[in-house]
Amino acid sequence: MRKLLAATLGILSAVGGFVDIGDLVAASQAGARFGMAHSWVLLLGVVAICAYAEMAGRIAAVTGRAVFDLIRERLGARVALLNLVASYVVTVVTLAAELGGVALAVRLATGVPYLIWVPVAGAAVWLVLWRMRFPVMERLFGLAGLALVVFAVALFWLPTDWAALGRSAVSIEEAGQGWGTYWFVAVALFASTVSPYEVFFFSSGGVEEHWGAADLADARFSVLVGFPIGGFLALALIATATVVLRPAGLAVTGLEQVAHPVVLAFGGLGLAIAALAFFAVTFGAALETGLSAAYAAAQYFGWQWGKRVSPREAARFHTVLLISVLLGVLLLLTAIDPVALTEYMLIISAVALPLTYLPILVVANDRTYLGDRVNGPWLNTLAAALLLVILTASIVAVPLAIGTRMGQ
Amino acid sequence: MSRQLLDRQLVDVQGRLVGKVDDVEFAIDTEGRPYLLTLLTGPGALALRVGGRLGRMMALAAERFVTDRPMAPLRIPYPLVARIDSAVWLRVRAEELPTAPVEQWLRRRLIDRIPGAGRASG
Repeated sequence: MRKLLAATLGILSAVGGFVDIGDLVAASQAGARFGMAHSWVLLLGVVAICAYAEMAGRIAAVTGRAVFDLIRERLGARVALLNLVASYVVTVVTLAAELGGVALAVRLATGVPYLIWVPVAGAAVWLVLWRMRFPVMERLFGLAGLALVVFAVALFWLPTDWAALGRSAVSIEEAGQGWGTYWFVAVALFASTVSPYEVFFFSSGGVEEHWGAADLADARFSVLVGFPIGGFLALALIATATVVLRPAGLAVTGLEQVAHPVVLAFGGLGLAIAALAFFAVTFGAALETGLSAAYAAAQYFGWQWGKRVSPREAARFHTVLLISVLLGVLLLLTAIDPVALTEYMLIISAVALPLTYLPILVVANDRTYLGDRVNGPWLNTLAAALLLVILTASIVAVPLAIGTRMGQ
Repeated sequence: MSRQLLDRQLVDVQGRLVGKVDDVEFAIDTEGRPYLLTLLTGPGALALRVGGRLGRMMALAAERFVTDRPMAPLRIPYPLVARIDSAVWLRVRAEELPTAPVEQWLRRRLIDRIPGAGRASG
């Protein structure tokens, strides 16, 4: 029973770590514009995040060192510093987008204007990071995030033409919008499933909870069950957008449109559940991105980090955490449109993907760190193929963004 | 030897994180053979190894927090190293070593002033 409980909690953490504002926006946009034609991208993204999170978790469990710690050892002080600067910028922009998502979710529930909620969301995120216990934090938001399952339920409630939905999932079409736009949306959706902060957070959490070789099986299980559940929730978002938004010709410009299918199916109750789910996943992701930004800096410089020591003993870590949340709030207070910010965030994440994933693959093959727990040949073949996909996404992201004017 | 040490995490006997091995110093014994003398940690040493404009910017940023410039790195005599695996483990406790100046400054001026700074949230 206790083992079952522990496994459930691990899965919740993984689900919470997967779905965020990027998935909400990218999945709904993909569904509203192209139907199910991007399902394969989501599947590929889930396979990639599972493979690389497993490696990052194994490295953390065997060596006791988190991802950015090893990035510096492998790349050297100078190149790793450039990597840190890029990763930090991407993570803080992601944090800003998540805070925007929190504020949008609260507006959806209360009707009070969005900008008022931005500083409140920032303060709340910082307070939770300052005081709440780490495992409680992850599980609470993971559990509440499961409320997204209401999208899958809505699909059964609405008069869904399942045969047509299934057909559009296997036929890849540009639906009269041009292939450039199709691939732009594909890159954004892929980046939303393999966000670098997910592996920073996952591996740092493993180090913080003192995973040993004995915890390896549990960590693997959480990854291999939790991330696919997150992927399923994202797929449900694509599907409801396909069924409801696409025939109506609705464009996704805010969380109202994302929630529209469940409102259509369940009315006010649906709206309440959707708002709760949006709040939980974006708030949880804001916590994770804030921590990840501070983890990366602390692990590069070798500072004391983590929530197991008092803040005064990790003053530099907590200062970076505080500054990151402040930067996120300030970025939103420029009155930038949070959905547009999310789209830009996904594109710069896509560009930065190899900075995180290449070092993980290198270390996962290094016997001086992992002994005989290095990657097997099958995992290496898969990981190398996925790395090619990641590199391709990184290279084409900016040309596609410019060529299609951010998918217009 | 130095390649194995550089950029590794320094950890005290209790598992506290002390810093990274930002640089190493060699000395030459009476028979003319080089040996490892000290490990250096701190933004001053790191900035020199990073070099270029990026290194200078890092040193300038760190020096804003100290009164005596240029910033001296923390020197850890090599005999204090207990063992080396994925990290460099020291024989001493972090409290026995001088606290990093930036850490000290931020602790005193910022973090300690926020209620709850003394308790770990776990």
